[in-house]
Amino acid sequence: MDKLNLDKHISGQFNAEINFVRNQIMVMGGLVEQQLRDVIKAMATHDVELAQQVARRDNKVNSLEVKIDEECTRIIAKRQPAASDLRLIMAIVKTIADLERIGDVAKNVARMVENGLGKRSNISVASLETLGEHSVKMLHDVLDSFARMDDEAAFVVHREDEKLDKEYERLFRELMTYMMEDPRSIPNVLDALNAARCFERVGDRCQNIAEYVIYFVRGKDVRHLGTDEIAELL
Amino acid sequence: MISLAAEKSNNKVLDLQNLSQEDTALEVQNLNLFYGSKQALFDVSMKIPKGKVTAFIGPSGCGKSTLLRCINRMNDLVDICKVSGKILLHGENIYDKSVDVAALRRNVGMVFQRPNPFPKTIYENVVYGLRLQGVNDRRSLDEAVERSLRGAALWDEVKDRLNDNAFGLSGGQQQRVVIARAIAIEPEVLLLDEPTSALDPISTLTIEELINDLKDRYTVVIVTHNMQQAARVSDQTAFMYMGDMVEYSDTNTLFTTPAKKQTEDYITGRYG
Repeated sequence: MDKLNLDKHISGQFNAEINFVRNQIMVMGGLVEQQLRDVIKAMATHDVELAQQVARRDNKVNSLEVKIDEECTRIIAKRQPAASDLRLIMAIVKTIADLERIGDVAKNVARMVENGLGKRSNISVASLETLGEHSVKMLHDVLDSFARMDDEAAFVVHREDEKLDKEYERLFRELMTYMMEDPRSIPNVLDALNAARCFERVGDRCQNIAEYVIYFVRGKDVRHLGTDEIAELL
Repeated sequence: MISLAAEKSNNKVLDLQNLSQEDTALEVQNLNLFYGSKQALFDVSMKIPKGKVTAFIGPSGCGKSTLLRCINRMNDLVDICKVSGKILLHGENIYDKSVDVAALRRNVGMVFQRPNPFPKTIYENVVYGLRLQGVNDRRSLDEAVERSLRGAALWDEVKDRLNDNAFGLSGGQQQRVVIARAIAIEPEVLLLDEPTSALDPISTLTIEELINDLKDRYTVVIVTHNMQQAARVSDQTAFMYMGDMVEYSDTNTLFTTPAKKQTEDYITGRYG
């Protein structure tokens, strides 16, 4: 963290507060990553009990979001952060919102597993599992870039989303053929499509977090810009 | 959305390097200042835009008050003080030998840290400058008092006791009397040297609100120790350190994405 000088404030109390929220966001990120990993495992092995555990644990993710949010509000009220401190707090507040939504994805897929996703149908969940794992990898990498506040690593994740989107499209077409071949499979395939859509959205949220990291490090808002435009800015 | 767009066009970012002549109120060119053998300002150059609030921030002793005082030649009163370089007002160097300093100070008013009303009535305080200029017509004095006190957001509070002694007012009110006194003679530029550092938070907010109103008619230059105040009231901010102007840009940029590390360290409260 030397590069960022986050512990160089004259006020030691402020250093401690910033360190605290940074730690908390890593705790939250780790928990969400675990949720996603567990739900993919539950899906692959039809483990309903594990899926139920994931659904129950979503509460923890939600309460962490509230806790970090409150702490950030307190810091803004008491410290009036400016420049990089302000950008850090804004990045954290936005990141936890996206992490919470990724947590919701895990919960929703867990509910689908409880309702028999993948089990009732003859379609394989292997492609779905690959897509899910790809999204977990992105989440892992973006959290890593957040921890180190590494804008280049964040940009790598940002570009990765395109690949995830392509993978989703491939899976989408694959599932379409199932539906055309056997209309009775449609309800099950729709479930799988929903789950696929969920994982694809995880990639978008990781892309958002990558943008917040770049915003913090560079002070440049790269939201809604194309990859080439961002590359130019960096 | 419309209001947001409108707001944006009002707050359009000025290009401070290439400010046009008509948008410039004051231009400082290569200003160096010595107190005896000690140099207090190093080659400061900047353009201060018209009808805007410009703030100088920086640690104690960085030269921000010194620079402010240069603008109406208050430093002339310090014997050991030597100035080189130029400050242009209407394209004319205020340090030119031909310049009438009294006339300059009529044009460039100043308000200090501690409220310094004269031991007179509120009315007499406000018209003091006008009387010095030889205005004695009761009617124009009355008008000036109402206009200035309204301008200083004090009229409603004191209109029924204009003949009370100004010392009977609160600190915040006294400071507004002083501002009314400064604007009574219709200066173009108003210099505020830490105008709220001796005031309570509520009076401070009143003065800040007033500064925002004042910029419609005057160019305001403010020195403040309170960075959040600079962030709140100013359109552009200059950060000074050890007599150098380190960074000068629009306030929104300076407080969110400063270009220099020194600025960043100062406004975020870090040691460099």
